[in-house]
Amino acid sequence: MSLAKKITDLDTFLTYSVALEEEAAGRHDELADMMEVHNNPEVAGTFRKLAHYSRLHAQEIRDHSKGRTLAVIAPWDFGWESMEGPETADISDVNYMMTTTQALKIAMGNEQRAHDFYHEISKLSPDEAVRALAAEFADEEKEHLELLAKWLAKYPESGEEMPFDPDPAHMPE
Amino acid sequence: MDQAAKPIALTPKDFKSALKPVWCPGCGDFAVLNAITKALAFMGLPRENVALISGIGCSSRIAAYTSVYGFHGVHGRALALASGLKAARPDLTVLVAGGDGDGLSIGGNHFIHACRRNMDLTYIIMDNEVYGMTKGQASPTTAPDWTSSKLTPRGSGIRPFQPAGLALTAGASFIARGFTGDPNGLAKILVAAMEHKGFSFVQALSPCPTFRPEQMQWKLHVSAFDEETSSDPVEAAQRIQADDGMSTGIIFRNEYPVFRPGTGVDRGMGKIESEFTI
Repeated sequence: MSLAKKITDLDTFLTYSVALEEEAAGRHDELADMMEVHNNPEVAGTFRKLAHYSRLHAQEIRDHSKGRTLAVIAPWDFGWESMEGPETADISDVNYMMTTTQALKIAMGNEQRAHDFYHEISKLSPDEAVRALAAEFADEEKEHLELLAKWLAKYPESGEEMPFDPDPAHMPE
Repeated sequence: MDQAAKPIALTPKDFKSALKPVWCPGCGDFAVLNAITKALAFMGLPRENVALISGIGCSSRIAAYTSVYGFHGVHGRALALASGLKAARPDLTVLVAGGDGDGLSIGGNHFIHACRRNMDLTYIIMDNEVYGMTKGQASPTTAPDWTSSKLTPRGSGIRPFQPAGLALTAGASFIARGFTGDPNGLAKILVAAMEHKGFSFVQALSPCPTFRPEQMQWKLHVSAFDEETSSDPVEAAQRIQADDGMSTGIIFRNEYPVFRPGTGVDRGMGKIESEFTI
């Protein structure tokens, strides 16, 4: 059964939404820390900004939830359809030499998955109020995607390959 | 209710220290740190009641990255240190962590005896099948045909240990395998491991992006065991042997007698010294 069909009331929906944004914020901070330690300040700054935006969104949803009781769900009981929340970047996708363009492309992938998550709920949840709010959130994620696309346009295109490393950690003879 | 008396619920972030990990970006060990902090927050354990003991290697740096008590110990000797701590302070929740080389080669003997002794410890091996800190040599879990190391350009030619099988044979009472691509699933396993009374062993498949970049594809191959946890060592052994090492879950759990040191440690130094008087 699709996760979207299991979200049958607003409290549960808001609990999922807060978790989605907070997990994303935590991961962006973690990626920013990695880049700071590995002397990639530009990409560190990008991830830090993304963490800030995720935290703002989480706070907006918390504000929206005032007067409601959000459920306490263990991280593993959310039953996300991937191994982590839809807006959480995969740790294994980063490299210490990555560019801002590559970081923003990761962020766009995260926002796209978040949009798809909300969009699916807006179509499949059995509760009308949940469907309506999920549609609003899906639209917001679409706006985030557009903002990221504008941000990305300021940087030169770069492919999947990492920049040349003149001093690789591992150089078999 | 007196609000001041209410314990403050800690979040996973509260279990992280202010130190930023120096692991390579993309390293699976970040996810082990996440899983540990999520598990501790979920269990609501006070930080002062938890200790994390580690050995030497990239992964063993983890003790410094948490806010619980920690000891970054001697190569391969994390389990010996942790056993001593648990003997002296049985009230503590004692986690032990390290890599595949630290735990299965340098500390291999400590590992098998910790399994059979069954003290109430939780041991996490962050398994990337390589010695990373020393720039990429074959470890006890490396495949025999891995040729990317300068030391073994034709491969080690040595069949690797199966950590779960080794733990089972040595008598561990709780054996699980998790994957760092699924930190939430790994956290769930760690909660079960810490709640288990006795020695719990968790093999965390933790890709090394620098020396084993091909492991970044593990996320395409890892899946959960189909079967429920077994309490039958024969059944668990069959499951381990039939598996390709990429299945996750709690493989084996049984209630074996938990080793607790005798009252000797409580007798005080005076009494102990008197027994050595000639």
